[in-house]
Amino acid sequence: MEIATLLSVGVSNGCLYGLVGLGLVLVYNAQGIPNFAHGELFMASAFAAYTANILFGLSYALSMLVAIVFAFALGVVVEFLAIRPIAMNRSLGRASTEVAIVLSTVGLMIAIKGLARIPWGDSVRKLPAAFSTETISVGGLVLSTQRLLIIVVAFVLTIAISLFFSKTSLGKKMRATSQNTAGAMLVGINTGHIYSATWGLAAICGGVAGILAAPLIFLYPDMGTRMLLKGFAAACLGGFGSVGGVFVGGLVMGIVEIFFGRYLATSMMDIFAPIIIIVVLLFRPQGLFGSRSAVRV
Amino acid sequence: MTQILKLEGLMVRFGGLTAVNGVSLTIASGEIRGLIGPNGAGKTTLFNAISGLAPASAGSVHLDGLEITSKSAPQRAALGIRRTFQTVQLVQSFTVYENLLFGLHTRAGNPLTRLIVGSYATPDADADAIIDEVLDYLGMRDLKHRVVDTLTIAHQRYVEIGRALVARPKLLMLDEPTAGLSPAQIERLDDLIGRLSSDWKVSILLVEHVIPLVVKLCSRITVLDRGRVIAEGTGAEIGQDAAVQKAYLGERLDA
Amino acid sequence: MLAAVRSNILPLFFVLLFGLSFTTDAYAQYLINLMLVYVVVAQGLNLILGFAGMFAFAHGAFMAIGAYVSALLMNKFGVSYLVAMPAAGLAAALVGCSIGIPAIRVSGLYLAMVTMGFSEIVQWILRNWKPVTSGTDGISVASPVFFGVELSDDFQTFYIILAVCAVMTALAQFIIRSRLGRAFVAIRDSEIAAQSSGINVARTKVLAFAISAFYAGVGGSLFSLTQHYINPDNFNLYQTIMQFCMVIVGGASSLIGPFIGATILTWLPELLRNAQAFQEIGFGLLLIVFVIFVPKGLAGLLIDKGILPREEYSSRVRGKWVVRKERAEGSERT
Repeated sequence: MEIATLLSVGVSNGCLYGLVGLGLVLVYNAQGIPNFAHGELFMASAFAAYTANILFGLSYALSMLVAIVFAFALGVVVEFLAIRPIAMNRSLGRASTEVAIVLSTVGLMIAIKGLARIPWGDSVRKLPAAFSTETISVGGLVLSTQRLLIIVVAFVLTIAISLFFSKTSLGKKMRATSQNTAGAMLVGINTGHIYSATWGLAAICGGVAGILAAPLIFLYPDMGTRMLLKGFAAACLGGFGSVGGVFVGGLVMGIVEIFFGRYLATSMMDIFAPIIIIVVLLFRPQGLFGSRSAVRV
Repeated sequence: MTQILKLEGLMVRFGGLTAVNGVSLTIASGEIRGLIGPNGAGKTTLFNAISGLAPASAGSVHLDGLEITSKSAPQRAALGIRRTFQTVQLVQSFTVYENLLFGLHTRAGNPLTRLIVGSYATPDADADAIIDEVLDYLGMRDLKHRVVDTLTIAHQRYVEIGRALVARPKLLMLDEPTAGLSPAQIERLDDLIGRLSSDWKVSILLVEHVIPLVVKLCSRITVLDRGRVIAEGTGAEIGQDAAVQKAYLGERLDA
Repeated sequence: MLAAVRSNILPLFFVLLFGLSFTTDAYAQYLINLMLVYVVVAQGLNLILGFAGMFAFAHGAFMAIGAYVSALLMNKFGVSYLVAMPAAGLAAALVGCSIGIPAIRVSGLYLAMVTMGFSEIVQWILRNWKPVTSGTDGISVASPVFFGVELSDDFQTFYIILAVCAVMTALAQFIIRSRLGRAFVAIRDSEIAAQSSGINVARTKVLAFAISAFYAGVGGSLFSLTQHYINPDNFNLYQTIMQFCMVIVGGASSLIGPFIGATILTWLPELLRNAQAFQEIGFGLLLIVFVIFVPKGLAGLLIDKGILPREEYSSRVRGKWVVRKERAEGSERT
């Protein structure tokens, strides 16, 4: 029984990590950089949901919608202000551009955290859950409704994004741009729009994770960093490539972490993500499933 | 005549792709050897395999009688293999002088400091004299303190050659040195390459697309296609060779 | 006269600080000390980030190793500070090597993630290895004793910090001008060209890690002297990012850059009312604005304006992410 409960917690946590990792992978594939500000998109969206729901008294569903729109807008704005000027600077070599963009995301990371600290820095906050009934019982197994919601939404979103890339014209353009930027520009794709869309979509992934996690964890301005590390770990396990890979990577991360935490020591849960990042990148940079040739160098 | 470079059955594989497939080749001391072949023939990969940037999957490489097959690129550079690149590889923000200093990196220094910090800390006492000599030879003394990325592409190629020459290499490998140059610049470079081997007592392996240039400079030419040597001989012999004509003509039809 | 000032700006800076130390109040002296500590740390980061072009995200952690090693050696074993400080640097360098050796296997920006993971692990150890580090309670740092004299306040420790900073600056200058410094820049700008000129890229990268961590370790040890009390929060991500800010704002791959960066970023928090939120916003925006608009940093800007002298051979080095725009005759380059 306890195992089943732990498993449900691990799977739902893993879904959150997968979503955060998915946002990281989207930006990595488009621009070749780890986005250090991604945890802050997660944090800001959680606070946006909190603001809409608690301060403006909007209904739960409407607050979620507001927060998702906010996440998308934040991603687009941040890309336009802090990333685009560097990416479009033709006088830089590719490697130089990438280092400069990473530095810019590091700047964003702490600037957004600082901004959140002004209104929210004094104490931790909590958002009510989506459903008034907190748990349901399935065949004797008690499950949290919020966790079920996380699992369902993460599955649906991951599949939707896979379909988006394989079926829609914008998704195909995004893939083309990530594989060959110069070629994409030659065939008339507006790479600026593509980067906006990538960052907006990545922010939605992080934002949805933030909104879903908000009722389970406390909200505070520093919550993004921890999530960033877990997202990195999920992305590393998934090989920084496919949408499905990072989702499975998140699940592995969530499940193993919860069992480590339960049977070894709670403090082990926080050390798990950085260890995974280091071990995977050093010894299996293609991730759990990828082939070595898929590694971007 | 001693053999400076000897390749025996050299293979380079990347995953399923065999880029260099059993190449055997010897270059005598003081020789200028031409290496030609259609695009994708494996010329640059062969260069990388000789200079140590691409590991050999099979076969052997000897430099001046010494087996170097398992040696790394820096070790081979220290033993006397130096090269230039198809796209110029210089530290663009440094001056000509400083870029030539890189070429002297492997020079032997005080054994004690070498023991502690490898080849990093040896003094540059006579470096200036060596560099000035090379710059004078290349006719670039007045550009000594110019930053490289303010130079023309032709001058940048001279700097690359200079960086190799300061180390007084046994084998100098030039990878398409005329790429991107004007006809007048090519003529000057052509003249320089012709003099290099006797003036610096160095053997040269030259990859080049401008076939007349190769024919003029090189006593012997090796033709590579799909990773294999398909012909070797003087310019006239190569021109008559059926396999060579097929390789080039085939390429032209494909394109 | 002005020319003499320009060409001896760093020695004059040290003399000026020495003179100022007779007029400062306790708080100003504390800030001067802190600034010098950050000069040392920023120089270390500059060597690896600016010169060798490696994105190491771990200098808060290296600094922590230095601070804890020197504090613990003095507290628990009564070791003299004269021994504890270099030991702190060496301990950090050793850890730098051991993270550097595997980390050079990963390419490009994966290194940023690996080193960030390493920082988190160091943080975790500091928080959880309570018998040694006292966890989040932190540890107090004994005052160093020189020849029976206890150096207990900032006016006294200033002399140690000033001297160490001067020595480390001279060392940095020596490294930059040596073959090793050239090897750093060579691997930054073209790894294949470096290899083909006989530079051992792997060994050079590990050395960059070790030296850079040594600076951070010594800096951490000095930092513990200025604080008298250290805890894991001193060395978190914010610390590392502040150092990035110092290097970028001051001017990456310039010897003088870390001085400018450390000075500004030590005094800026005072203007930002010491409120964490405003500091974070300020530092974050500074980093973004400089990366976009002043990628050479203030040192590069001042050198271009002719206010600061060109530096030895690093003067034209604009950091890997900067290639000079004004080309005299390079128009045919593609």
